[in-house]
Amino acid sequence: MSTHSNVTRREFLKVSALAGAGLVIGITLPGCKPSPTPTPEPTSTPEPEDWLEPNIYLKVDNNGGVTITAFRSEMGQGIRTAIAMILAEELDVDWSVVRIEQAPADPAYGDQMTGGSVSISGHYLLLRLAGGVARHMLITAAAQAWGVEPESCSTESGWAIHPDGEQRLPYGELVEAAATLPVPDPLRGDAVPIKDAEGFRILGTRIGHWDTPQMLDGSAVYGIDVKVPGMLYATVARCPVFGGEVASFDAAQAKAVPGVRDVIEIDAGLAVVADNTWAAIQGRQALEITWDEGALASLSSVDIREALVEGAPKPGEAAADDASGWDAAYDVPFLAHATMEPMNCVADVRATSCEVWAPTQNPQAAKQRAVAITKLPRDAVQVHVTLIGGGFGRRLQTDYVEQAVQISQAVAVPVQVIWTRDDDMQHDFYHPLSYNYTSASLDDLRRLRVRSYPARSGVPTGAWRSVENMPEAFAHECFLDEVAAELGRDPYEMRLELLSGREKAVLELAATKAGWGTPLPEGWGRGIAFHSTFGVTPVAQVAEVSVDEGGSVRVHRVVCAVDCGTVVNPDTVEAQMEGGIAFGLTAVLKAKITVENGRAQQSNFHDYPILRIDEMPTVEVYIVPSDRQPTGIGEMGVPPIIPAVLNAVFAATGKRIRQLPIRPEDLQGT
Amino acid sequence: MSSITLTVNDQEHTIDVDPDTPLLWVLRDTLDLTGTKYSCGIGLCGTCTVHLDGEAVQSCVTPVSNAASRKVTTIEGLSPDGSHPVQRAWAAENVVQCGYCQTGQIMAAAALLAKEPNPTDADIDAAMAGNLCRCGTYQRIRRAIHRAAEEGGKE
Repeated sequence: MSTHSNVTRREFLKVSALAGAGLVIGITLPGCKPSPTPTPEPTSTPEPEDWLEPNIYLKVDNNGGVTITAFRSEMGQGIRTAIAMILAEELDVDWSVVRIEQAPADPAYGDQMTGGSVSISGHYLLLRLAGGVARHMLITAAAQAWGVEPESCSTESGWAIHPDGEQRLPYGELVEAAATLPVPDPLRGDAVPIKDAEGFRILGTRIGHWDTPQMLDGSAVYGIDVKVPGMLYATVARCPVFGGEVASFDAAQAKAVPGVRDVIEIDAGLAVVADNTWAAIQGRQALEITWDEGALASLSSVDIREALVEGAPKPGEAAADDASGWDAAYDVPFLAHATMEPMNCVADVRATSCEVWAPTQNPQAAKQRAVAITKLPRDAVQVHVTLIGGGFGRRLQTDYVEQAVQISQAVAVPVQVIWTRDDDMQHDFYHPLSYNYTSASLDDLRRLRVRSYPARSGVPTGAWRSVENMPEAFAHECFLDEVAAELGRDPYEMRLELLSGREKAVLELAATKAGWGTPLPEGWGRGIAFHSTFGVTPVAQVAEVSVDEGGSVRVHRVVCAVDCGTVVNPDTVEAQMEGGIAFGLTAVLKAKITVENGRAQQSNFHDYPILRIDEMPTVEVYIVPSDRQPTGIGEMGVPPIIPAVLNAVFAATGKRIRQLPIRPEDLQGT
Repeated sequence: MSSITLTVNDQEHTIDVDPDTPLLWVLRDTLDLTGTKYSCGIGLCGTCTVHLDGEAVQSCVTPVSNAASRKVTTIEGLSPDGSHPVQRAWAAENVVQCGYCQTGQIMAAAALLAKEPNPTDADIDAAMAGNLCRCGTYQRIRRAIHRAAEEGGKE
């Protein structure tokens, strides 16, 4: 049995907002097909007939089943599972009775934008209270049945328990009565208990993603898997030059491809609409298009960088002002998100309605765009959020949704727009190229300053997992390493003096677990780095690398320490650190986007190679125990790995690398 | 267009299709077997991996005509209820993040284990290096393959 504490009135104000927010409409993922090889249900539970639905986050049915509505987008960070874990904890039910539905775009859930690693930190207390409200109503119903005070009753795993400790009623039997009770309202001073951390049975435990079975048997529905009756498939030919447009075109050859239905012009370019994806791809290849390449036709990343540097301070300037001044500059290229699921979207635009199924991190922005394009009333536009095959910030954008809506509107049937890998790589909203001038006085390292100059060049840029934290950490932490070497200091010990509190503790944990200072094999190096992404989640990483004759870097081991406050699911925290490290390793070791003649030169995984299994280091993750409010984890593993690896390369070779990614020629013969 | 007979997951289908169409699109668009995913389209990432007569192939670069008269197995046919040792090991190790590449990873791992029931790390590197995962689940994939081998990796 759990202990409970009452929440304050202030905390309550939030839950009253929930209680009044209306009932969620039970929409599951469209196209959600039964598993192709369905197995018989283990028990013949009848369809539920009654529900307790006290707020928009959960409902309890008369079989004791709990349906939770996930209102943030799932892209691998485990948010659907985490939201459900918090609600199930405070409702006090077993995880096995939980099922999850995905909320459509709906402002009742606030801004549903899934970004900034805030889905848990921004909703932790709210969700606990939302679960607590339902539990409290079930307890009250039981207490009324027994003729006792609700405060004297307790709950355990989906049962209300009588003060005598013997009598008990399952939630399912209480649903009908509980649903007639008033939803607790702080304005009336109602109290809703939530658990003390010692009473947690679900929070803090290792639970695999709720969607795992469907993901492993192929029945999970990502955006690309949505099928709507009568749906056609479309590809979009766009000018390879950023900002370019169609000047003229001849669609005759494309229309001659069997299966191609139509070629239409939309804002982004030319859409080939066909009976299946392959015909749409073939049709597009057969299009003859003359492009108006526009103003950026001669743009190159070399020129973009030169222009940035021209207006910025340069290494050497710090020493001119101050004898102990020290400076360096660090270069970040454009980087692609390269999600495994390319951009895609299904739209069904009718005269009086528009329905969209999108793998989106930004459902309400998608809805806004659909409303703007169709000029339909908001209520006539529905945006369903599917599972997402990788987001990393790319799917905060709505460009691919707009394409689907425009095409469906033009052809008046449901359409799936699907991007090829080339489209995806060449029309990304890239992590911006940046020049990062960093300086300090060796007499006072606390005044270390990174001045970041991100390119605003016309090349589309956007949020990329950890956003500006990556260049910040790269410059700050590599620079500190350079300063330590200049001062003859140990880079770990020097950092210890600059950090305090939680941040220092994280650094110490990583260094201790990594065996900082212990011998490594000949030719190896160890590097350390620290960064607190968005200033909320301190992460320290120690990388061990070796460099071969040809200048190739191999990362053998990464030790990562993180303090993310209260841990909802330690398995997910570890997974996000592992994943963030892999994501950062691609940037430091392998891939970049270069622009030449106004276009991205890379198009697929041969020229934008991402980390492979044989390049993945052993990653050890250590979580600092904490009872603080949870912070975020989705992006925080990325920034420190870049300087940790580069500092390890210096330790192994004595060479400083100040641009991403490492090129073998920088390290040959070391 | 021509008429092609395909055996997918032990079911025969006769379809009217351009024989050069990649098997991937026939599986996804024609047969509605969407567990096999599209990602690179040119055989670079392994996301679309299926079995042809038990061998792992990338269906995005396999013309459907090459699959006729051979036995095609997709993720939907790997086991009747998601209980193939590789699927069980993937669940036990909590491998998935976004999950998009995982059906291809599982098909590649199942083919590896059918051939090499006790793979070394080097065997895993060799067999799995063509299966990309942007979420970075590789460490868990490696663990899951070893686990599947211990718990019975053969089909």
